[in-house]
Amino acid sequence: MAARNWWIIFIVVLGLILVFLLFTNRPAPAASNGASIAISLKTVPTIRSITVSPSTASFSNCTGGDSSLDTASTSTELGYPNGHCWDGDPSGSFPIKIKYKGPPGQVFVSSSNAVPGSGGSQWSLCSSANACSGPHDLPGTDQYMVKNFGAGRNSSTGLTGSPTCDHEFGQQGCSATSGQSQTEGVELIGPQDSGNTSTSWTVTITWGAAPAP
Amino acid sequence: MRGRWLRLSLAVPVALVTLAVFAQSSAASVGVGVQVGPVRLGTVAHRGESYSLPRLYVVNTGTEAEAVSVRVERLSHGPGLVVPPSWISGTGPAVQLAPGGSARIPLELAVPEHAHPGGYLSDIIVTGSPAGAASTAHIGVAAATKLEFSVSSAPAQASTALISPWMWWVLIGLLVAAVTILGARRFGLRIRIERESPHRPAAGQGDSRG
Repeated sequence: MAARNWWIIFIVVLGLILVFLLFTNRPAPAASNGASIAISLKTVPTIRSITVSPSTASFSNCTGGDSSLDTASTSTELGYPNGHCWDGDPSGSFPIKIKYKGPPGQVFVSSSNAVPGSGGSQWSLCSSANACSGPHDLPGTDQYMVKNFGAGRNSSTGLTGSPTCDHEFGQQGCSATSGQSQTEGVELIGPQDSGNTSTSWTVTITWGAAPAP
Repeated sequence: MRGRWLRLSLAVPVALVTLAVFAQSSAASVGVGVQVGPVRLGTVAHRGESYSLPRLYVVNTGTEAEAVSVRVERLSHGPGLVVPPSWISGTGPAVQLAPGGSARIPLELAVPEHAHPGGYLSDIIVTGSPAGAASTAHIGVAAATKLEFSVSSAPAQASTALISPWMWWVLIGLLVAAVTILGARRFGLRIRIERESPHRPAAGQGDSRG
């Protein structure tokens, strides 16, 4: 046999050995090292929450009152009788953002008595549910009214001290889904007259998250 | 010329600080969250008894510290008697929560003697108020979860309330002892217990001396 044939046989054998080694050294995917996959999982929320920003608000753009009695409103001060003050503007300014998170539920809103900075008697809330005693259904002495409004919605008949459905929040009443938010503003109508001479008052407006009815 | 530069050098930092303060205040928020799962009493309540309810989980979802308070009010529709707020008391101190902070608030249910039996349904409302807020309109936040329990028409069992479990075991032990003694007497069984003195001489030794 010629030397050339021996070389061919040698190369073929060497090739076979290489192929054999390559296949035998290849790691078996499942048997030796194992394999893993990551599967993401989502769970339902276990917290129902509401977040409102900014954390404080101020009334401004006050109008009304009686200049002949020297009790007309200024831009930042409520006048008598029945001056109006605003936080926002129904025509396009809604500075308060309310955001709901959690399983489907509802958003409610309520207000409190107006508390004088110097103490003494408070102004109580009046609304269509709790009649205002002033002329033309406006707040009477030591009464006041708060209404909230949203973009394209201004149906509030006045907030009460009890949590009630915030109809300005959503298209379908006050029902809310996770991540849903709304911007709103607030209008305050002051009393016909005040039995308290304080010139600094504070009202608290509370937005809340509740289970679906 | 020097005065102009001085005014400029003062105005720029003041403007920056004002911008920073404004940006911070406009981004600030107040928020509160509460557990979705209702607060349920694990057992049927009895009139005149007090119970510890499962702790209520609350969380501050705003960016400011806030004081959290708890009250009971009926918001939910559905069957069930309204829970009088006076029946529920927060047994812990007032809760102050830092931004993102959470707490588990202990609650106690006290059912009065005159309570109507049946199922009760109301809501626990957690209210958060920013600490130290000073403005003409405070923004408050609240979150509610259901409160459910039942009051039994039967009075609480006095026997189980008066006698503790270890007393039951003592009574059973005494009963077993009494039955054993009486049975032994009836069947003429006698149990004689003797004590052997270690100093007494053995019987065999005495005989050998005599």
